Amino acid sequence: MNRAMYAAASGMAAQQTNLEVIADNLANADVAGFKQVVATFTDVNAGGSLGLGTATSGKHPIFAQGKLMHSGGPFDIAIDGEGFFRVERSGKHAYTRNGEFTRAADGTLRNADGWALRDVRIPADAVAVHVAADGAVTVDTNAVTGRSIGRIRLATFAAPEQLQPLGGTVFAATPDSGPERRLDAGHTGQPTIAFGMLERSNVSIVESMMQILTAQRAYEANAKGVQAADEMQRIGLKIKIRIIRSYLLCFSELLFAPLARDSTLCALKKRAIRVCVQDSN
Amino acid sequence: MPGTLGDMDGMDWMASAMRAAQAQLETATHNLANVASDGYRRVRSTLALTPQGLAARESPDPTQGGIRETGRPLDLALLGPGTFRLSGPQGGVETRNGAFQRDREGYLTDQQGRRVQGRSGPIRLSETAVVGTDGTIRDAGRVVGVLPLPPGTTVRSGALESSSVDAIGETLAVLTAQRAFETAQKTYGAIDSARDKAVNDVGRLK
Repeated sequence: MNRAMYAAASGMAAQQTNLEVIADNLANADVAGFKQVVATFTDVNAGGSLGLGTATSGKHPIFAQGKLMHSGGPFDIAIDGEGFFRVERSGKHAYTRNGEFTRAADGTLRNADGWALRDVRIPADAVAVHVAADGAVTVDTNAVTGRSIGRIRLATFAAPEQLQPLGGTVFAATPDSGPERRLDAGHTGQPTIAFGMLERSNVSIVESMMQILTAQRAYEANAKGVQAADEMQRIGLKIKIRIIRSYLLCFSELLFAPLARDSTLCALKKRAIRVCVQDSN
Repeated sequence: MPGTLGDMDGMDWMASAMRAAQAQLETATHNLANVASDGYRRVRSTLALTPQGLAARESPDPTQGGIRETGRPLDLALLGPGTFRLSGPQGGVETRNGAFQRDREGYLTDQQGRRVQGRSGPIRLSETAVVGTDGTIRDAGRVVGVLPLPPGTTVRSGALESSSVDAIGETLAVLTAQRAFETAQKTYGAIDSARDKAVNDVGRLK
């Protein structure tokens, strides 16, 4: 009986995880560069066909391209194609597709969480910044126009789905993802960098709402399973108690009434005991 | 234990019916729990008459699950019978869940890192590899692996096979099992009280 209850409970836990992941996607639907996360589930079996319910097999981001939109921000950049911006914060390297940068006091381009774009530092006298499709950054100053100050390089990974999320839109490399590989934008078949644009999250709100409803119904269905298993366990227990009680009764009667010479009665009692013993096993 | 049907009385019958209902509940809850497991095929539970009374028999339901577009090229859905073969630390595993990815060495693996086996060993591919509908994986025109599939089965890249469990149908199965259990229990109780009367009240020695 407990197997049914555990299976149903594992289903409830799985749907709970599912709901949390979808809710997180929805919450970040307006964050530039955010990548939708999906939780995947797999069935659990204890040898052969003995089903033990389900378990979360993993959560991974879907790196599908989000739509690019004009944002008008003076330092906004977006990647059209694969790859990540290389960012750092207090010496730690990470990767993001969120190109919503602002100019910090030290000349670096930082996102809202303080991650600074590597390779580029805007000089103090710059009045305008341009980023070409191949990542080449030029600045205009009052004296010169189009002074080259470096190039934004992108990174890619052998297994990007194994990157570790550092919260929001920033990821760190892991042994499973492999080390970063340089990716130079602008060449044929390579990504391009869009200046003045942002990549919207690839979360579809309508789809997420639908997923929430489905997960909610699945959760309720599993709760029904727990309830049924509980109810049946209660009844089963009641029968067991009744069997033990009548077994004790019969036993005491046989002990204290050996005078029951009526053979039918004796046979009936023996049969009752046999049934009781057999059913309580 | 009774050996043949003839040895079974009402109580034995009802006890076996309760056990069968319990087994059916276990199958239904296991199915329900896997309503979101990609590639999962629901387990069918049918009642059968055995020398020990009623018994629930489990068998896999070969109904195809729905195909869901994901847009990830390494998500593979099987249309037709067959499975993907994976090699894990505990030996080979078969699954219909085709949510695959490339590991850092370029091998095609599942979410848990188990390598997908082609006709001639694990499959190693680059980002640009294409999975054909016949299960042939080509990398820049070169064949890097062939999925071992039965004839007639096709592969769809960029899609996953959803669980074939229908939540409403399984909830119904949960309720049916519960009611069957209660019915058997009531009947069991009726026989029990009749027997109680026969044993304890009929011919009571005063």
